[in-house]
Amino acid sequence: MAHPTPSSESPQLDALTEEGCYVALTDSPLSIIPIIDRVRSPKAGAIVLFAGTTRDTFAQKPVKELQYTAYRPLALRTMLTIARDIRAAHSLQAIAMVHRLGVCPIGEESILIAVSAPHRQAAWRAGEAALEACKERVEVWKREEFEGEGGVWRANRDGKVGIREDGKGEGGEGGGGD
Amino acid sequence: MSKPPPGNFTILYFASASSFTAKNVEFLPAPLPLSKLFATLEERYQGIKEAVLSSCLVTVNLAYVDVPGEDGDDGEEEGKEEEVVIKEGDEVAIIPPVSSG
Repeated sequence: MAHPTPSSESPQLDALTEEGCYVALTDSPLSIIPIIDRVRSPKAGAIVLFAGTTRDTFAQKPVKELQYTAYRPLALRTMLTIARDIRAAHSLQAIAMVHRLGVCPIGEESILIAVSAPHRQAAWRAGEAALEACKERVEVWKREEFEGEGGVWRANRDGKVGIREDGKGEGGEGGGGD
Repeated sequence: MSKPPPGNFTILYFASASSFTAKNVEFLPAPLPLSKLFATLEERYQGIKEAVLSSCLVTVNLAYVDVPGEDGDDGEEEGKEEEVVIKEGDEVAIIPPVSSG
């Protein structure tokens, strides 16, 4: 059985790898080509890439920027579990997932998921399943900073209730970023 | 992350828990039964239980744990699992609903 091996290619990057799986958290802007190259394989007939980008409004309110924070060791562990499970369930060649942390300006990628499979059907399905599992379980939190009125911690679970800095609830629906 | 001083455990606050306490991390005295954790935090941060903790999960040393309800009868019934106690040096985290992506 393959053991996850921690690697740190820079002070801002935390990553775990095992056979066919790569997961990472980084404070730097995300790059699409490197994550595609991580899953590239001569046995694959399809690579599907999902890029989640940050939206500029929440309930018609302008969002200035988003900030992501994580419980890094636990988030990585959860991401690796998801990657391993999705890879097995969809018979993928490889899966790679990276999430950006810290300030993420509007319109930039906050998460990239790349999967490769012998055929496209499995790749499409696995990509979606991986994203949904991440949004449900990975210990990363998104804070939306609004123009002129502080920030709100978002919760994926209900898609609407956030906790305002003053502790009062905040309704609405949607959310900046996916 | 620095280690807790002797006789303490580390508690990490994320997202709404961090906003409410105005801290990311602190040290609290150990040992502490897990069932007393929320009451201990409520003593220090009045209102945190209802505003934050009621929707949070808890991990101890990177593993999710069930926080026993405190209203009651836990421990009285036979056949109950032994109560989890937070030990010196443990890393506890308050995990609000996540929002990656």
